[in-house]
Amino acid sequence: MAKRAENVQYRGKVVEFPFDNPAEENVPDESLHEHLARPTTERTKRLKARCRWKHAAAGEFVEDNVKGGIERMRLITEAHKQSDGKPEIIRRALGLANILTGTIVLQEDELIVGYHAENPNWIPLYPELSYMAVQDYIQSKYAPQPVEEAKEINNYWTKHSLQGHCQPYFTQEELSQMYQVSTMEAPSFASGYNSIVPPYETVLEDGLLKRIELAEQHIREARTQIAAPYWNADERLQLLSKIDCWEAMIIADKAVISWARRHARMCKLVAEHFETDAQRKEELLMIADICQRVPAEPCKGLRDGMQAKWFTYLLCHAIDRYASGYAHKEDKLLFPYYQISVTEKSFQPMTHQDAVELVECERLKVSEHGAGKSRGYREIFPGSNDLFILTVGGLNSDGTDGCNDMTDAILEAARNIRTTEPSIVFRWHPKGRAQTKKLVFECVRDGLGYPSIKHDGIGTAQMMYYGRFSKNNNGATPEEAHDWANVLCMSPGLVGRRKTQKTRSEGGGSIFPAKIMEITLNNGYDWSYSDMQLGPKTGEISEFKTFEDLWEAYRAQYQYGMSMVIRAKDISRHFEARFLQMPFVSSIDDGCMELGIDAMELSEQPNGWHNPITTIVAANSLVAIKKLIYDEKKYTLEQLDDALHSNWEGFETMQRDFANAPKWGNDDDYADELIKRFYEDIISGEMRKITNYSGGPVMPTGQAVGLYMEVGSRTGPTPDGRYGGAVADDGGISPYMGTDKKGPTAVLKSVSKIDASTQKANLLNQRLSVPIMRSKHGLTIWLAYMKTWYELNIDHVQFNVISTEEMKAAQKEPEKHGDLIVRVSGFSARFVDISTYGQNSIMARTEQTFGAEDYEFLGVNL
Amino acid sequence: MAICAECKSFFSVPDNADDYEPGKGDCLIEEKDEKGKYWLSKATMGDSVAEQCKNFKPKKVS
Repeated sequence: MAKRAENVQYRGKVVEFPFDNPAEENVPDESLHEHLARPTTERTKRLKARCRWKHAAAGEFVEDNVKGGIERMRLITEAHKQSDGKPEIIRRALGLANILTGTIVLQEDELIVGYHAENPNWIPLYPELSYMAVQDYIQSKYAPQPVEEAKEINNYWTKHSLQGHCQPYFTQEELSQMYQVSTMEAPSFASGYNSIVPPYETVLEDGLLKRIELAEQHIREARTQIAAPYWNADERLQLLSKIDCWEAMIIADKAVISWARRHARMCKLVAEHFETDAQRKEELLMIADICQRVPAEPCKGLRDGMQAKWFTYLLCHAIDRYASGYAHKEDKLLFPYYQISVTEKSFQPMTHQDAVELVECERLKVSEHGAGKSRGYREIFPGSNDLFILTVGGLNSDGTDGCNDMTDAILEAARNIRTTEPSIVFRWHPKGRAQTKKLVFECVRDGLGYPSIKHDGIGTAQMMYYGRFSKNNNGATPEEAHDWANVLCMSPGLVGRRKTQKTRSEGGGSIFPAKIMEITLNNGYDWSYSDMQLGPKTGEISEFKTFEDLWEAYRAQYQYGMSMVIRAKDISRHFEARFLQMPFVSSIDDGCMELGIDAMELSEQPNGWHNPITTIVAANSLVAIKKLIYDEKKYTLEQLDDALHSNWEGFETMQRDFANAPKWGNDDDYADELIKRFYEDIISGEMRKITNYSGGPVMPTGQAVGLYMEVGSRTGPTPDGRYGGAVADDGGISPYMGTDKKGPTAVLKSVSKIDASTQKANLLNQRLSVPIMRSKHGLTIWLAYMKTWYELNIDHVQFNVISTEEMKAAQKEPEKHGDLIVRVSGFSARFVDISTYGQNSIMARTEQTFGAEDYEFLGVNL
Repeated sequence: MAICAECKSFFSVPDNADDYEPGKGDCLIEEKDEKGKYWLSKATMGDSVAEQCKNFKPKKVS
């Protein structure tokens, strides 16, 4: 029998909580999530059953047969050697063109085709980005074969890679500090990690043949201008690099069209020579027709749109170079094609259920997409293969509700097929229609951990704010400011035909406030993990006579780390613009096309951010120190120093006192006032003093990915009472697990005290009671919660709705719980693919139930 | 000496294709593993030596 929520006395009556679906009374709590998947068709059921997952657990791939492919490495290197002497941007286009001559893949049952390696079990590698990341594969069991050739290729790129170009601009000490991944994440030039928001719109709306025409037209005009009488060097010499840029776009786009049409030819050949099933033959011929037309031509129906989008994704995120994320506003992008195919049935006619099946197929394509990340980065995303986050909902550019039938198809598919990827962001606005919000609720209630929910108004205002800093005075207009999606887990960025984020210099990368707290108390020295000086010498602990002394020392340590990480990002950008241009991406951006400037160089809309991860451990530590040492004088800093260096051993009473000091998330003004100051004065205040490549400020995006585990394990004991090596806080603004004891509305009240406009984003994890959410009142309560959340002007919230009983059962018998999904931080993961250390951190999160006071605060009518 | 053009897996690139070159073809192979069937296609020239190719299967003569 399933456990029901307890009755509550509320507004003079006893409220009962029967299950919304009475049949669930008989579903054991320990196996609920194994009963929730319902793939829409037999095809998606088969595709899920045979999905080639690329999930990693503790840095190792979960499934056999996954390994690095050599073909991409070989082809990019061959092209680089052959193109020596040509303009760098042309070399990059020829490199892509050569990669696209490689092996292409088709799998049975697929409706969307295309893969990025020479075998569907393999993943491509990128020696031109980071030789260190490739070395990581070469020395592992996933090494590309033949391994000697891989080594030779990687050696070639040591001096030509982005890493090779950037490293000389740092001292060995600085590189060592960054490579510890202890106070700060390693720079993207060493990890190869990247983020991009492809301008999908131009591909779907124009088609690449049109983009080629535009580039050719620009070249003709430039050549005419150069040859005209009255030579003017200042005006005309700059046209030379623009001509190269447009030429490179043409090379890239022609190669992409040819590659897509090879897929068409393959489908046709398989239909004619291999396939025996008549229906599948028809499907293959249909796909062949689609790939022959798109992305060369504008899309005419929903199947065109989905296929063109997938090809574009592969090119921008996996073939030309690696980039994490799946940033686009999918419902807005595909709705015109949904209307043609589903509503009007004038091209590629289909039912709504067919559209849902197509989205399920897309989800499974994403699920078997492999990212060539190093082991360190695989550890950061336990139970997942990478970050794939798409966005839906919000308002349209004219201020009307952005929810539509495509939004519903996306949400229905997610609910039905139950995959961890891609995650979904729902932009919450009061105007959002009820039927769509109900689907959001159903996904949350069924334990997917997504949609993660963002405040629509805050995100839109932020796009306008950043637009003010545009270097070419072409930042977001009020209409464009509505067109945003999360670039990765948490941070908004523009989507659309131009002004989107193209590389990591704008956003991504982390800094670790808890570890900075630790080294601040040790004069910049990391005694517990790296055993080296990680920051400036800001004073011994005994020298902090006042709390403000400590505060300022922390500020100096934090600024040291922040300036270094943003310098690393901008130096990467500097060399990306010279050696890592992206002619295909440039060709599909209206700004790059108009101006003849590569996407790595052009920045129209600043979007600078960096991720503080483990902020709450640092903040709670400051609260405990202020209370117990400076205010109450119960302990001295010297005693604290001794206790921390002993990992609290022999100081058990002291540990309890520090652990019991006021904590974030309980609507406690003592803690909240100091923590608000910490977020606004240091975490954001110091970051915003930095100006990045794009001319705008850098703002904090508090989140966690899996780094709260990884960095927690590298962080010594902290003054919040935490033991050395224990996990850190699991979100940018989430209370530390188990320390929020005053109910769900107290958490909201605490979080709302921080001015959201001072932050880029802040992740709030909440775990809600399964019996309440699955009761007949679940939707009503949740909608009231969301209304209050929006009115409190909180940036973000996401939910785990999963019982401890089921997680414990999955730990005992993982083979029986393949469909158990949990929200880790900005991504969801298969619970059984997470390490026990990580699983326990999720189980330790407070399961919020609602009492009468909460219902009253939320104004719920039950 | 066996060449790619003599193999069952060799399909000439049509002369109206973007990537057409005289003698060029697609080497199209069907594979199967525990996850199911898939096909791999890569470009090859018909006169390439196929002696060492593990996938070489001569076309049936009609």
